[in-house]
Amino acid sequence: MTDVSDAAPDLPEAAGRRFAEGAFTSGLTVPDFAACLQMGLEPVGFVQGFCVMQWQWYGMGSPFGPMGMPARGATTGYAESWQCPHGYVSAEHRSWGQNYEQSWVEEAWATGFTSAYQRMVEEADTVGAHGVVGVVDATAPLAGQGVLEFRVQGTAVRVADGPAPAGGPWTTYLAGQRLAKLIEAGYAPVSIAAAVASVRVWASCITAYLTEGTGQGWGRQPAGVEIEQAASAHMAVRRIAREHVRAQLGDDSLHGASLSASEREMGEGDAELQCVLRGNRVRRVKDFDPLAPPRPTVRLS
Amino acid sequence: MTDTPQDLPKEAGHRLEELEHGLFTSDLSVNEFLLIKEVGFHPLGFVMGSSIYHTGIQTRKWRTSQELAKLTGAMYEARELAMTRMEEEAAELGADGVVGVRLDVNYYEWGKDAAEFIAVGTAVKAENGVSYLNKLGKPFTSDLSGQDFWTLMQTGHVPLGLVMGTCVYHIAHRGLGQTLGSAGQNVELPNFTQALYEARELAMTRMQDEAGELGASGIVGVRLEEKSHQWGSHTIEFLSLGTAVAKTDEPVTLPRPTTIISLDN
Repeated sequence: MTDVSDAAPDLPEAAGRRFAEGAFTSGLTVPDFAACLQMGLEPVGFVQGFCVMQWQWYGMGSPFGPMGMPARGATTGYAESWQCPHGYVSAEHRSWGQNYEQSWVEEAWATGFTSAYQRMVEEADTVGAHGVVGVVDATAPLAGQGVLEFRVQGTAVRVADGPAPAGGPWTTYLAGQRLAKLIEAGYAPVSIAAAVASVRVWASCITAYLTEGTGQGWGRQPAGVEIEQAASAHMAVRRIAREHVRAQLGDDSLHGASLSASEREMGEGDAELQCVLRGNRVRRVKDFDPLAPPRPTVRLS
Repeated sequence: MTDTPQDLPKEAGHRLEELEHGLFTSDLSVNEFLLIKEVGFHPLGFVMGSSIYHTGIQTRKWRTSQELAKLTGAMYEARELAMTRMEEEAAELGADGVVGVRLDVNYYEWGKDAAEFIAVGTAVKAENGVSYLNKLGKPFTSDLSGQDFWTLMQTGHVPLGLVMGTCVYHIAHRGLGQTLGSAGQNVELPNFTQALYEARELAMTRMQDEAGELGASGIVGVRLEEKSHQWGSHTIEFLSLGTAVAKTDEPVTLPRPTTIISLDN
Protein backbone atom coordinates (compact mmCIF):
# COMPACT_ATOMS: atom_id res chain seq x y z
CA MET A 1 0.00 0.00 0.00
CA THR A 2 1.50 3.27 1.09
CA ASP A 3 5.23 3.64 1.49
CA VAL A 4 6.26 4.77 4.94
CA SER A 5 8.44 7.48 3.49
CA ASP A 6 5.34 9.03 1.90
CA ALA A 7 4.04 10.11 5.29
CA ALA A 8 3.86 13.87 5.53
CA PRO A 9 6.87 15.24 7.45
CA ASP A 10 4.58 16.84 10.03
CA LEU A 11 3.14 13.52 11.19
CA PRO A 12 4.76 11.19 13.72
CA GLU A 13 6.68 8.24 12.36
CA ALA A 14 4.16 5.86 13.95
CA ALA A 15 1.42 7.24 11.68
CA GLY A 16 3.41 6.18 8.64
CA ARG A 17 3.93 2.71 10.08
CA ARG A 18 0.23 2.39 10.84
CA PHE A 19 -0.84 3.33 7.32
CA ALA A 20 1.70 0.99 5.76
CA GLU A 21 -0.30 -1.96 7.08
CA GLY A 22 -3.03 -3.68 5.14
CA ALA A 23 -6.38 -3.62 6.95
CA PHE A 24 -8.58 -0.57 6.79
CA THR A 25 -9.75 0.94 10.06
CA SER A 26 -12.90 2.92 10.49
CA GLY A 27 -14.33 4.77 13.42
CA LEU A 28 -17.78 4.43 11.92
CA THR A 29 -20.56 2.53 13.62
CA VAL A 30 -21.88 -0.44 11.66
CA PRO A 31 -24.99 1.41 10.36
CA ASP A 32 -22.78 4.29 9.18
CA PHE A 33 -20.32 1.82 7.67
CA ALA A 34 -23.16 0.10 5.81
CA ALA A 35 -24.49 3.43 4.54
CA CYS A 36 -21.02 4.37 3.30
CA LEU A 37 -20.69 1.13 1.34
CA GLN A 38 -24.09 1.77 -0.18
CA MET A 39 -23.06 5.26 -1.31
CA GLY A 40 -19.96 3.78 -2.91
CA LEU A 41 -17.57 5.12 -0.27
CA GLU A 42 -14.90 2.69 0.90
CA PRO A 43 -13.36 3.35 4.30
CA VAL A 44 -9.55 3.45 4.12
CA GLY A 45 -8.46 4.45 7.57
CA PHE A 46 -9.18 6.14 10.85
CA VAL A 47 -7.40 9.48 10.65
CA GLN A 48 -6.58 11.94 13.36
CA GLY A 49 -4.84 15.17 14.14
CA PHE A 50 -3.86 16.77 17.42
CA CYS A 51 -2.47 20.01 18.67
CA VAL A 52 -1.53 20.79 22.25
CA MET A 53 -1.67 24.48 23.08
CA GLN A 54 -0.56 26.49 26.05
CA TRP A 55 -3.84 27.94 27.27
CA GLN A 56 -3.97 30.90 29.55
CA TRP A 57 -6.53 33.61 29.93
CA TYR A 58 -4.34 36.59 30.63
CA GLY A 59 -2.29 36.18 27.52
CA MET A 60 -0.05 38.56 25.65
CA GLY A 61 -2.15 40.95 23.68
CA SER A 62 -4.64 40.80 26.47
CA PRO A 63 -5.70 44.26 27.46
CA PHE A 64 -5.55 43.33 31.13
CA GLY A 65 -3.64 45.62 33.36
CA PRO A 66 -1.68 44.52 36.42
CA MET A 67 -4.81 44.46 38.57
CA GLY A 68 -6.75 42.31 36.14
CA MET A 69 -8.82 45.31 35.13
CA PRO A 70 -9.58 45.65 31.44
CA ALA A 71 -8.25 48.75 29.82
CA ARG A 72 -11.05 50.45 27.99
CA GLY A 73 -11.03 50.19 24.24
CA ALA A 74 -8.03 47.83 24.03
CA THR A 75 -9.75 45.24 21.83
CA THR A 76 -9.85 45.49 18.08
CA GLY A 77 -13.23 43.83 17.74
CA TYR A 78 -16.57 44.27 19.46
CA ALA A 79 -16.57 46.49 22.57
CA GLU A 80 -19.41 48.16 24.42
CA SER A 81 -19.37 50.22 27.64
CA TRP A 82 -21.91 50.89 30.36
CA GLN A 83 -21.61 53.98 32.50
CA CYS A 84 -22.67 54.10 36.15
CA PRO A 85 -25.69 56.38 36.42
CA HIS A 86 -25.28 56.88 40.16
CA GLY A 87 -22.21 59.05 40.32
CA TYR A 88 -20.62 57.13 43.24
CA VAL A 89 -16.91 56.77 43.56
CA SER A 90 -15.92 53.84 45.77
CA ALA A 91 -13.96 50.59 45.55
CA GLU A 92 -17.14 48.51 45.89
CA HIS A 93 -19.09 50.41 43.30
CA ARG A 94 -17.88 50.12 39.71
CA SER A 95 -18.22 53.32 37.81
CA TRP A 96 -18.34 51.53 34.47
CA GLY A 97 -18.73 48.10 32.89
CA GLN A 98 -17.59 46.72 29.57
CA ASN A 99 -18.19 43.87 27.13
CA TYR A 100 -15.38 43.19 24.72
CA GLU A 101 -14.29 40.56 22.25
CA GLN A 102 -11.18 38.61 23.28
CA SER A 103 -9.72 38.28 19.83
CA TRP A 104 -6.47 36.71 21.11
CA VAL A 105 -8.49 33.79 22.57
CA GLU A 106 -10.31 33.37 19.27
CA GLU A 107 -7.06 33.41 17.33
CA ALA A 108 -5.39 30.86 19.64
CA TRP A 109 -8.43 28.60 19.32
CA ALA A 110 -8.32 28.90 15.55
CA THR A 111 -4.59 28.04 15.53
CA GLY A 112 -5.11 24.92 17.67
CA PHE A 113 -8.15 23.74 15.76
CA THR A 114 -6.70 24.41 12.31
CA SER A 115 -3.39 22.68 13.11
CA ALA A 116 -5.19 19.57 14.37
CA TYR A 117 -7.55 19.67 11.37
CA GLN A 118 -4.74 20.02 8.86
CA ARG A 119 -2.86 17.11 10.40
CA MET A 120 -5.95 14.96 10.03
CA VAL A 121 -6.28 15.99 6.39
CA GLU A 122 -2.56 15.23 5.86
CA GLU A 123 -3.14 11.73 7.23
CA ALA A 124 -6.10 11.34 4.88
CA ASP A 125 -3.93 12.51 1.96
CA THR A 126 -1.25 10.01 2.95
CA VAL A 127 -3.66 7.07 2.65
CA GLY A 128 -4.92 8.39 -0.68
CA ALA A 129 -8.38 9.25 0.61
CA HIS A 130 -10.90 11.36 -1.29
CA GLY A 131 -12.71 12.54 1.81
CA VAL A 132 -13.14 12.23 5.56
CA VAL A 133 -16.57 11.41 7.01
CA GLY A 134 -17.90 11.28 10.56
CA VAL A 135 -15.47 13.91 11.84
CA VAL A 136 -15.49 14.43 15.60
CA ASP A 137 -13.62 17.27 17.26
CA ALA A 138 -13.03 18.03 20.91
CA THR A 139 -10.90 20.09 23.21
CA ALA A 140 -9.76 18.84 26.59
CA PRO A 141 -7.48 20.17 29.33
CA LEU A 142 -4.35 18.07 29.57
CA ALA A 143 -1.93 17.17 32.32
CA GLY A 144 -2.73 19.91 34.74
CA GLN A 145 -3.66 23.49 34.17
CA GLY A 146 -2.86 25.88 31.40
CA VAL A 147 -2.64 23.25 28.64
CA LEU A 148 -5.42 22.50 26.20
CA GLU A 149 -5.47 19.75 23.61
CA PHE A 150 -7.37 20.05 20.34
CA ARG A 151 -8.29 16.83 18.58
CA VAL A 152 -9.95 16.18 15.26
CA GLN A 153 -10.67 12.61 14.16
CA GLY A 154 -12.63 10.96 11.37
CA THR A 155 -12.78 8.10 8.91
CA ALA A 156 -11.01 8.57 5.59
CA VAL A 157 -12.94 7.23 2.62
CA ARG A 158 -12.34 6.71 -1.09
CA VAL A 159 -15.02 7.07 -3.73
CA ALA A 160 -15.17 3.77 -5.63
CA ASP A 161 -13.98 4.36 -9.21
CA GLY A 162 -14.05 8.10 -8.60
CA PRO A 163 -11.31 10.61 -9.39
CA ALA A 164 -9.43 12.30 -6.57
CA PRO A 165 -10.91 15.68 -5.70
CA ALA A 166 -8.89 18.59 -7.06
CA GLY A 167 -8.33 20.50 -3.83
CA GLY A 168 -7.38 17.62 -1.53
CA PRO A 169 -9.76 15.52 0.57
CA TRP A 170 -13.17 16.97 1.52
CA THR A 171 -14.37 16.60 5.12
CA THR A 172 -17.72 16.48 6.87
CA TYR A 173 -19.12 15.91 10.35
CA LEU A 174 -21.81 13.78 8.74
CA ALA A 175 -21.71 10.05 8.21
CA GLY A 176 -24.14 7.31 7.33
CA GLN A 177 -27.67 8.04 6.23
CA ARG A 178 -27.45 11.77 7.00
CA LEU A 179 -24.64 12.09 4.50
CA ALA A 180 -26.45 9.82 2.04
CA LYS A 181 -29.55 12.01 2.17
CA LEU A 182 -27.50 15.17 1.72
CA ILE A 183 -25.87 13.76 -1.40
CA GLU A 184 -29.23 12.51 -2.71
CA ALA A 185 -30.59 16.01 -2.25
CA GLY A 186 -27.93 17.30 -4.64
CA TYR A 187 -25.23 18.62 -2.30
CA ALA A 188 -21.57 17.63 -2.00
CA PRO A 189 -19.59 18.07 1.23
CA VAL A 190 -16.70 20.55 1.00
CA SER A 191 -15.26 20.77 4.50
CA ILE A 192 -16.15 21.15 8.11
CA ALA A 193 -16.37 24.73 9.35
CA ALA A 194 -15.92 25.75 12.98
CA ALA A 195 -15.08 28.89 14.90
CA VAL A 196 -15.15 30.18 18.43
CA ALA A 197 -16.19 33.59 19.71
CA SER A 198 -15.13 34.85 23.11
CA VAL A 199 -16.61 37.88 24.88
CA ARG A 200 -15.47 39.09 28.29
CA VAL A 201 -18.11 40.65 30.49
CA TRP A 202 -16.84 43.11 33.07
CA ALA A 203 -20.05 43.82 34.92
CA SER A 204 -21.22 47.38 35.55
CA CYS A 205 -22.74 48.27 38.92
CA ILE A 206 -26.29 47.61 37.71
CA THR A 207 -25.37 44.29 36.04
CA ALA A 208 -23.47 43.16 39.15
CA TYR A 209 -26.47 43.99 41.33
CA LEU A 210 -28.98 42.28 39.07
CA THR A 211 -26.93 39.11 38.61
CA GLU A 212 -25.17 38.76 41.95
CA GLY A 213 -26.94 41.14 44.32
CA THR A 214 -23.70 42.98 45.08
CA GLY A 215 -22.92 46.66 44.98
CA GLN A 216 -26.17 47.93 46.59
CA GLY A 217 -26.53 51.18 48.40
CA TRP A 218 -28.00 53.35 45.71
CA GLY A 219 -31.70 52.61 45.99
CA ARG A 220 -33.85 49.75 44.77
CA GLN A 221 -33.81 48.40 41.29
CA PRO A 222 -37.09 47.11 39.90
CA ALA A 223 -37.35 43.30 39.79
CA GLY A 224 -37.85 41.50 36.48
CA VAL A 225 -35.99 43.83 34.15
CA GLU A 226 -33.71 42.86 31.33
CA ILE A 227 -30.03 42.79 32.20
CA GLU A 228 -28.95 44.79 29.20
CA GLN A 229 -25.25 44.16 29.45
CA ALA A 230 -25.63 40.37 29.72
CA ALA A 231 -28.22 40.23 26.94
CA SER A 232 -25.97 42.28 24.72
CA ALA A 233 -22.96 40.02 25.41
CA HIS A 234 -24.97 36.89 24.63
CA MET A 235 -26.15 38.32 21.34
CA ALA A 236 -22.70 39.57 20.41
CA VAL A 237 -20.91 36.28 21.10
CA ARG A 238 -23.33 34.38 18.85
CA ARG A 239 -23.13 37.00 16.15
CA ILE A 240 -19.31 36.96 16.16
CA ALA A 241 -19.22 33.14 15.95
CA ARG A 242 -21.56 33.29 12.95
CA GLU A 243 -19.44 35.96 11.29
CA HIS A 244 -16.25 33.92 11.74
CA VAL A 245 -17.85 30.83 10.18
CA ARG A 246 -19.47 32.82 7.38
CA ALA A 247 -16.04 34.18 6.47
CA GLN A 248 -14.90 30.57 5.84
CA LEU A 249 -17.80 29.67 3.56
CA GLY A 250 -17.19 31.54 0.32
CA ASP A 251 -20.17 30.95 -1.97
CA ASP A 252 -21.10 27.67 -0.27
CA SER A 253 -23.75 27.05 2.34
CA LEU A 254 -23.60 25.74 5.87
CA HIS A 255 -25.53 22.59 6.67
CA GLY A 256 -26.34 21.05 10.06
CA ALA A 257 -24.93 23.89 12.10
CA SER A 258 -24.74 23.45 15.85
CA LEU A 259 -24.05 26.25 18.25
CA SER A 260 -22.93 25.74 21.82
CA ALA A 261 -22.40 28.54 24.31
CA SER A 262 -20.79 28.37 27.71
CA GLU A 263 -19.98 30.78 30.49
CA ARG A 264 -16.94 30.79 32.74
CA GLU A 265 -16.63 32.80 35.94
CA MET A 266 -13.27 34.54 36.00
CA GLY A 267 -13.81 36.52 39.19
CA GLU A 268 -16.36 38.73 40.86
CA GLY A 269 -18.39 40.56 38.25
CA ASP A 270 -16.05 39.17 35.60
CA ALA A 271 -17.05 36.38 33.21
CA GLU A 272 -16.16 35.01 29.80
CA LEU A 273 -18.81 33.94 27.33
CA GLN A 274 -17.67 31.46 24.72
CA CYS A 275 -19.59 30.21 21.76
CA VAL A 276 -18.53 27.47 19.32
CA LEU A 277 -20.30 27.16 16.00
CA ARG A 278 -19.76 24.03 13.91
CA GLY A 279 -21.26 22.96 10.65
CA ASN A 280 -20.71 21.40 7.27
CA ARG A 281 -19.75 23.52 4.33
CA VAL A 282 -21.66 22.06 1.39
CA ARG A 283 -21.93 22.91 -2.29
CA ARG A 284 -24.83 22.28 -4.63
CA VAL A 285 -23.72 19.98 -7.45
CA LYS A 286 -27.02 19.08 -9.04
CA ASP A 287 -30.60 20.29 -9.07
CA PHE A 288 -32.83 19.58 -6.15
CA ASP A 289 -34.39 16.16 -6.44
CA PRO A 290 -36.96 15.68 -3.70
CA LEU A 291 -36.73 12.48 -1.68
CA ALA A 292 -39.60 10.02 -1.72
CA PRO A 293 -42.28 10.97 0.83
CA PRO A 294 -41.48 9.38 4.20
CA ARG A 295 -43.39 6.32 5.35
CA PRO A 296 -45.04 6.64 8.75
CA THR A 297 -43.83 4.08 11.28
CA VAL A 298 -44.52 3.17 14.89
CA ARG A 299 -41.83 1.59 17.02
CA LEU A 300 -42.74 -1.40 19.11
CA SER A 301 -40.21 -0.60 21.83
CA MET B 1 -17.66 -31.98 33.51
CA THR B 2 -14.21 -33.28 32.87
CA ASP B 3 -13.21 -31.30 29.84
CA THR B 4 -13.52 -27.84 31.38
CA PRO B 5 -10.30 -26.01 30.61
CA GLN B 6 -8.05 -25.97 33.68
CA ASP B 7 -8.08 -22.24 33.54
CA LEU B 8 -11.74 -21.81 34.51
CA PRO B 9 -13.19 -22.16 38.01
CA LYS B 10 -15.20 -25.29 38.93
CA GLU B 11 -18.42 -23.31 39.18
CA ALA B 12 -18.02 -22.27 35.58
CA GLY B 13 -17.98 -25.94 34.57
CA HIS B 14 -21.24 -26.54 36.41
CA ARG B 15 -22.93 -23.46 35.02
CA LEU B 16 -21.86 -24.25 31.49
CA GLU B 17 -23.02 -27.84 31.84
CA GLU B 18 -26.52 -26.62 32.57
CA LEU B 19 -26.36 -24.41 29.53
CA GLU B 20 -25.41 -27.36 27.36
CA HIS B 21 -28.77 -28.94 28.16
CA GLY B 22 -30.59 -26.40 26.10
CA LEU B 23 -31.34 -23.57 28.49
CA PHE B 24 -29.74 -20.37 27.37
CA THR B 25 -28.94 -17.14 29.16
CA SER B 26 -28.12 -13.89 27.46
CA ASP B 27 -27.97 -10.21 28.11
CA LEU B 28 -29.51 -9.49 24.73
CA SER B 29 -32.57 -7.27 24.53
CA VAL B 30 -35.64 -8.77 22.85
CA ASN B 31 -34.91 -6.87 19.64
CA GLU B 32 -31.30 -8.03 19.60
CA PHE B 33 -32.39 -11.61 20.21
CA LEU B 34 -34.83 -11.50 17.29
CA LEU B 35 -32.26 -10.00 14.92
CA ILE B 36 -29.62 -12.54 15.85
CA LYS B 37 -32.15 -15.33 15.22
CA GLU B 38 -33.00 -13.64 11.93
CA VAL B 39 -29.43 -13.93 10.61
CA GLY B 40 -29.39 -17.60 11.61
CA PHE B 41 -27.65 -17.59 14.98
CA HIS B 42 -28.89 -18.95 18.27
CA PRO B 43 -27.71 -17.62 21.64
CA LEU B 44 -26.07 -20.31 23.78
CA GLY B 45 -25.24 -18.54 26.98
CA PHE B 46 -23.88 -15.54 28.78
CA VAL B 47 -20.11 -15.97 29.01
CA MET B 48 -17.45 -14.08 30.86
CA GLY B 49 -13.81 -14.01 31.73
CA SER B 50 -12.07 -12.17 34.50
CA SER B 51 -8.53 -11.50 35.56
CA ILE B 52 -7.32 -9.66 38.62
CA TYR B 53 -3.99 -8.26 37.71
CA HIS B 54 -1.35 -6.49 39.69
CA THR B 55 -0.42 -3.82 37.20
CA GLY B 56 2.61 -2.80 39.19
CA ILE B 57 4.38 0.51 39.06
CA GLN B 58 7.07 1.89 36.88
CA THR B 59 9.36 4.78 37.56
CA ARG B 60 8.94 7.71 35.24
CA LYS B 61 11.41 10.40 34.44
CA TRP B 62 9.91 13.75 35.43
CA ARG B 63 11.13 15.53 32.32
CA THR B 64 10.81 12.78 29.72
CA SER B 65 7.81 11.77 27.62
CA GLN B 66 8.03 8.04 27.16
CA GLU B 67 6.05 4.88 26.82
CA LEU B 68 5.86 2.86 30.04
CA ALA B 69 6.39 -0.51 28.46
CA LYS B 70 5.88 -2.50 31.65
CA LEU B 71 2.49 -0.93 32.30
CA THR B 72 1.51 -1.24 28.64
CA GLY B 73 2.39 -4.93 28.83
CA ALA B 74 0.39 -5.41 32.02
CA MET B 75 -2.72 -3.65 30.72
CA TYR B 76 -2.57 -5.65 27.51
CA GLU B 77 -1.84 -9.01 29.12
CA ALA B 78 -4.63 -8.59 31.71
CA ARG B 79 -7.26 -7.84 29.07
CA GLU B 80 -5.98 -10.68 26.93
CA LEU B 81 -6.37 -13.09 29.87
CA ALA B 82 -9.94 -11.98 30.54
CA MET B 83 -10.82 -12.24 26.84
CA THR B 84 -9.18 -15.67 26.52
CA ARG B 85 -11.16 -16.98 29.49
CA MET B 86 -14.35 -15.67 27.97
CA GLU B 87 -13.44 -17.33 24.67
CA GLU B 88 -12.76 -20.58 26.54
CA GLU B 89 -16.20 -20.46 28.12
CA ALA B 90 -17.68 -19.85 24.69
CA ALA B 91 -15.67 -22.67 23.12
CA GLU B 92 -16.85 -24.93 25.92
CA LEU B 93 -20.43 -24.27 24.81
CA GLY B 94 -19.50 -25.03 21.21
CA ALA B 95 -20.11 -21.44 20.22
CA ASP B 96 -19.11 -19.87 16.93
CA GLY B 97 -18.78 -16.46 18.43
CA VAL B 98 -19.52 -13.96 21.17
CA VAL B 99 -21.52 -10.81 20.50
CA GLY B 100 -22.07 -7.71 22.60
CA VAL B 101 -18.68 -8.05 24.33
CA ARG B 102 -17.96 -5.46 26.97
CA LEU B 103 -14.49 -5.00 28.35
CA ASP B 104 -14.31 -3.22 31.70
CA VAL B 105 -11.73 -2.40 34.33
CA ASN B 106 -12.74 -2.29 37.99
CA TYR B 107 -10.76 -1.13 41.00
CA TYR B 108 -11.44 -2.39 44.49
CA GLU B 109 -10.74 -1.02 47.94
CA TRP B 110 -8.87 -4.16 48.91
CA GLY B 111 -6.46 -4.29 46.04
CA LYS B 112 -3.94 -1.49 45.81
CA ASP B 113 -2.28 -1.39 42.40
CA ALA B 114 -4.52 -4.27 41.33
CA ALA B 115 -7.36 -4.07 38.88
CA GLU B 116 -9.98 -6.50 37.75
CA PHE B 117 -10.29 -6.85 34.01
CA ILE B 118 -13.56 -8.38 32.99
CA ALA B 119 -14.99 -9.41 29.63
CA VAL B 120 -18.64 -10.42 29.26
CA GLY B 121 -20.79 -11.23 26.23
CA THR B 122 -23.33 -13.61 24.76
CA ALA B 123 -22.08 -16.76 23.02
CA VAL B 124 -23.89 -17.56 19.77
CA LYS B 125 -23.87 -20.48 17.34
CA ALA B 126 -24.87 -20.67 13.69
CA GLU B 127 -28.03 -22.70 13.21
CA ASN B 128 -27.07 -24.03 9.76
CA GLY B 129 -24.01 -25.84 11.10
CA VAL B 130 -21.49 -23.70 9.18
CA SER B 131 -18.46 -22.93 11.33
CA TYR B 132 -17.72 -19.28 11.94
CA LEU B 133 -14.57 -19.94 13.99
CA ASN B 134 -11.82 -17.51 13.03
CA LYS B 135 -8.42 -18.27 11.55
CA LEU B 136 -6.99 -19.09 14.98
CA GLY B 137 -9.72 -21.73 15.52
CA LYS B 138 -11.39 -19.63 18.21
CA PRO B 139 -14.93 -18.27 18.38
CA PHE B 140 -15.13 -14.75 16.98
CA THR B 141 -15.67 -11.96 19.48
CA SER B 142 -17.20 -8.60 18.82
CA ASP B 143 -18.55 -5.62 20.72
CA LEU B 144 -21.34 -5.20 18.19
CA SER B 145 -24.94 -5.06 19.39
CA GLY B 146 -27.55 -7.41 17.90
CA GLN B 147 -28.66 -4.67 15.52
CA ASP B 148 -25.10 -3.96 14.38
CA PHE B 149 -24.41 -7.68 13.98
CA TRP B 150 -27.46 -8.06 11.72
CA THR B 151 -26.52 -5.01 9.62
CA LEU B 152 -22.91 -6.14 9.25
CA MET B 153 -23.95 -9.60 8.04
CA GLN B 154 -26.23 -7.99 5.43
CA THR B 155 -23.28 -6.05 4.01
CA GLY B 156 -21.47 -9.33 3.32
CA HIS B 157 -18.96 -8.99 6.15
CA VAL B 158 -18.36 -11.35 9.07
CA PRO B 159 -16.80 -10.39 12.41
CA LEU B 160 -13.48 -12.10 13.21
CA GLY B 161 -12.61 -10.78 16.61
CA LEU B 162 -12.52 -7.87 19.00
CA VAL B 163 -9.09 -6.37 18.47
CA MET B 164 -7.29 -3.97 20.73
CA GLY B 165 -4.07 -2.14 21.23
CA THR B 166 -2.88 -0.17 24.19
CA CYS B 167 -0.12 2.20 25.12
CA VAL B 168 0.60 3.62 28.56
CA TYR B 169 2.43 6.87 28.15
CA HIS B 170 4.05 9.31 30.52
CA ILE B 171 3.91 12.96 29.52
CA ALA B 172 6.88 15.02 30.64
CA HIS B 173 6.43 17.81 33.13
CA ARG B 174 7.49 21.14 31.77
CA GLY B 175 10.57 22.69 33.27
CA LEU B 176 10.59 26.19 34.69
CA GLY B 177 12.60 27.48 31.76
CA GLN B 178 10.12 26.13 29.22
CA THR B 179 7.16 27.48 31.16
CA LEU B 180 8.68 30.93 31.36
CA GLY B 181 9.69 30.80 27.71
CA SER B 182 6.10 30.65 26.56
CA ALA B 183 4.57 32.62 29.42
CA GLY B 184 1.82 35.00 28.45
CA GLN B 185 1.14 33.39 25.07
CA ASN B 186 -1.28 30.83 23.82
CA VAL B 187 0.98 28.84 21.50
CA GLU B 188 1.36 25.23 20.45
CA LEU B 189 3.47 23.02 22.71
CA PRO B 190 4.99 20.78 20.02
CA ASN B 191 6.60 18.34 22.49
CA PHE B 192 3.23 17.56 24.06
CA THR B 193 1.53 17.26 20.69
CA GLN B 194 4.21 14.90 19.44
CA ALA B 195 4.14 12.73 22.58
CA LEU B 196 0.38 12.21 22.59
CA TYR B 197 0.25 11.72 18.86
CA GLU B 198 2.91 9.03 19.05
CA ALA B 199 1.14 7.25 21.93
CA ARG B 200 -2.17 7.08 20.08
CA GLU B 201 -0.54 5.88 16.89
CA LEU B 202 1.22 3.10 18.82
CA ALA B 203 -2.07 1.94 20.34
CA MET B 204 -3.75 1.94 16.94
CA THR B 205 -0.88 0.18 15.21
CA ARG B 206 -1.03 -2.60 17.80
CA MET B 207 -4.74 -2.96 17.23
CA GLN B 208 -4.13 -3.26 13.49
CA ASP B 209 -1.44 -5.88 14.11
CA GLU B 210 -4.04 -8.00 15.90
CA ALA B 211 -6.44 -7.57 13.00
CA GLY B 212 -3.67 -8.57 10.62
CA GLU B 213 -3.14 -11.82 12.52
CA LEU B 214 -6.81 -12.63 12.07
CA GLY B 215 -6.57 -12.01 8.34
CA ALA B 216 -9.08 -9.17 8.58
CA SER B 217 -9.91 -6.89 5.69
CA GLY B 218 -10.83 -4.09 8.07
CA ILE B 219 -11.84 -2.91 11.51
CA VAL B 220 -15.16 -1.21 12.18
CA GLY B 221 -16.35 0.86 15.11
CA VAL B 222 -12.86 1.89 16.26
CA ARG B 223 -12.90 3.68 19.58
CA LEU B 224 -9.94 5.46 21.08
CA GLU B 225 -10.26 5.73 24.85
CA GLU B 226 -8.07 7.59 27.28
CA LYS B 227 -7.85 6.83 30.95
CA SER B 228 -5.53 7.94 33.67
CA HIS B 229 -6.65 5.07 35.92
CA GLN B 230 -4.87 5.69 39.20
CA TRP B 231 -1.57 6.95 37.92
CA GLY B 232 -2.07 10.70 38.16
CA SER B 233 -2.69 13.17 35.38
CA HIS B 234 0.64 12.81 33.58
CA THR B 235 0.33 9.09 32.87
CA ILE B 236 -2.37 8.16 30.40
CA GLU B 237 -3.46 4.88 28.89
CA PHE B 238 -4.56 5.05 25.27
CA LEU B 239 -6.73 2.08 24.38
CA SER B 240 -8.04 1.47 20.91
CA LEU B 241 -10.74 -1.12 20.37
CA GLY B 242 -12.69 -2.29 17.35
CA THR B 243 -14.19 -5.30 15.63
CA ALA B 244 -12.06 -6.87 12.91
CA VAL B 245 -14.17 -7.94 9.94
CA ALA B 246 -13.60 -9.83 6.71
CA LYS B 247 -15.46 -9.58 3.44
CA THR B 248 -17.15 -12.82 2.41
CA ASP B 249 -18.46 -13.97 -0.95
CA GLU B 250 -22.00 -13.59 0.34
CA PRO B 251 -23.99 -11.07 -1.69
CA VAL B 252 -24.87 -7.72 -0.13
CA THR B 253 -28.49 -8.10 0.90
CA LEU B 254 -28.96 -4.86 2.79
CA PRO B 255 -32.11 -3.26 1.41
CA ARG B 256 -31.94 0.36 0.37
CA PRO B 257 -33.07 2.51 3.32
CA THR B 258 -36.33 4.37 2.91
CA THR B 259 -37.16 7.59 4.66
CA ILE B 260 -39.63 7.16 7.47
CA ILE B 261 -41.41 9.45 9.84
CA SER B 262 -41.81 8.26 13.40
CA LEU B 263 -45.29 8.65 14.82
CA ASP B 264 -44.17 8.26 18.43
CA ASN B 265 -43.78 11.70 19.86
